[in-house]
Amino acid sequence: MTATAWDEPRGRQTAAALGAAAAGADAASIEAQGISRSFGDKRALDDVSLRIEAGKIGALLGPNGAGKTTLLRLFSGLVKPDAGTVRVAGLDPIADARLVRRTLGLIPSGDRTFYLRLSGLENLVFFARLHGMRRRAAIQRAREVIDEVDLTDAAAAPVRTYSHGMQKRLSVARALLTRPSVFLVDEATHDLDPAAARNVKDIVKALCRDGAAVIWATQRIDEIRGFADSVTLLSRGHVLFDGTVPELMSHSIPRRFLLRLDGGGVAGDLGERARHALRDCGSIEATAASGAGGHYTLSIDEGVVLSDALVRLAAVGVDVLACREERSEIEEAFLSLMRQEEV
Amino acid sequence: MSTTAATPGRAGIFFGEVGKLSAFLRRDFLTAWSYRVTFVSDFFGLILQTVTFYFVGLMVDDSVLPSYGGETASYLEFATVGIALSMFIALGLGRVARAVRSEQMMGTIESVFMTPTSPTTVQLGSVVYDLIYIPIRTAIFLTSAAFLFSLDFDLSRLGAAAVVLVAFIPFVWGLGITTAAGALTIRGSAAGMAFGVSILTLVSGTYVPLELFPAWVESFAAYNPMAIAIEGMRETLLGDAGWSRVATDVLKLLPISFASLLLGIFAFRMALRRERQAGTLGHY
Repeated sequence: MTATAWDEPRGRQTAAALGAAAAGADAASIEAQGISRSFGDKRALDDVSLRIEAGKIGALLGPNGAGKTTLLRLFSGLVKPDAGTVRVAGLDPIADARLVRRTLGLIPSGDRTFYLRLSGLENLVFFARLHGMRRRAAIQRAREVIDEVDLTDAAAAPVRTYSHGMQKRLSVARALLTRPSVFLVDEATHDLDPAAARNVKDIVKALCRDGAAVIWATQRIDEIRGFADSVTLLSRGHVLFDGTVPELMSHSIPRRFLLRLDGGGVAGDLGERARHALRDCGSIEATAASGAGGHYTLSIDEGVVLSDALVRLAAVGVDVLACREERSEIEEAFLSLMRQEEV
Repeated sequence: MSTTAATPGRAGIFFGEVGKLSAFLRRDFLTAWSYRVTFVSDFFGLILQTVTFYFVGLMVDDSVLPSYGGETASYLEFATVGIALSMFIALGLGRVARAVRSEQMMGTIESVFMTPTSPTTVQLGSVVYDLIYIPIRTAIFLTSAAFLFSLDFDLSRLGAAAVVLVAFIPFVWGLGITTAAGALTIRGSAAGMAFGVSILTLVSGTYVPLELFPAWVESFAAYNPMAIAIEGMRETLLGDAGWSRVATDVLKLLPISFASLLLGIFAFRMALRRERQAGTLGHY
């Protein structure tokens, strides 16, 4: 009979697993080697490998259906791989389920992971008790983590009265209950306002500084800049890119820019002058412009560098007041890799 | 940072798991209490049902009713025991069957299984509140009905009736877990459970004496745990059945209850295994 994630761990296996984990060089890392998983005919993951060291944040990027959530479920032991090995803090999430669940903090993507009729505090106490804490310790720990996520004032209110952002912060609080060394974060900032998203990211950053390893699955490409240490880009179940954020950005050569232009007091239509100046190196379209100035979108041809285009505009008396990429380098790289895959 | 340093042994794990049951109990009590109106109207509903049977009883010729301890029971006395037990079964079966499915529907099932808690604890924990609440509710109903309608129950025999009930509980529980296993893998299959319970209730002599049914139904009742439990409770509460009668009923019930429970546990484990293989445990 095959072992399942729900089977009781054996006492001797537990001790052996701990020993093996302790012997590992980096007990707080996340590792997948050649993972494959199908659901019926659908190949959800195909030969996926990745590794996150302790104290690092690894971003998991990919469009809907790329396999991000399946990969997180494999790490959490909720799904068993068809092939390959998974290790969390040196432990097998299936064979050492009980230990892995103590080591792991999961922040799921959905809202519906709490008992809506109970208060936030009661929910946390319940989950703390399932983690083996005695009631008094569970209450104390629940109060600590609810303070950490700034939900103290709402602690006694039923979860059904919480906003989306508050429920997400409660999710973070639940993941913190056991002070885990590994965090799996699935679309944590999805639908959050900027302040709430920043709050969640700050908490995760702080955990990382304390030595936790984090997988941060997201579709918000730009949030990984200055946040993630590495990026794994998944598409249709396989790894399209695995490396650092600068390495990912090197796949991008931006060709479209948003410009704010001014006519510089020269007579004549600014748009016409700009189009004429750029006629053999690109094109320019007004987005919100009057005759004297405004916002434009510049597209430059292959082989043309941005500075050449800007010099041409200056030469016809067009002042470039501001210039930025239409899409971020990360987004551009992401789309470029996705396009390559489609080809 | 991690808490993996402390590794409980086998006994530590066992007592740890038992300790978690109180967390489930508190969770479900608080949830039930948050629906206070339902909580209270549940009791009023039972009393209203008894009032209905009181008036129905006025039309029933008591001579067609069986006698217990040499005395013919009134229809209300006869039906009240049936109501109590059928409510016990309907509630018990329904809640056990829906407990895990509710977790699935609420989206909390994966969060629960993400804790180091065994599936057996989750199963037991999900019904522990009902295992305590439903017998208390049944006892309160019987006592209230006895006082309100001056029923000739021998309440000193409630203990003996409770023993029959305790032997019967694992049957209900096992059936509930089997239904839960079905609902876990085939969403919506729990609806079939209500139909099954209705059939079982009808052929158990809950509201009508078995003697009025065709002979084959009466023969079937000898192996029908619900009929055995109802008749056992009537004999103790309405008649003068002693502990030897209780022991006979318990001996008949225990093997069926044990088999039902084993089947339920096996089916539930298989359902969880299948869900995990399919990766659909969290789906609703």
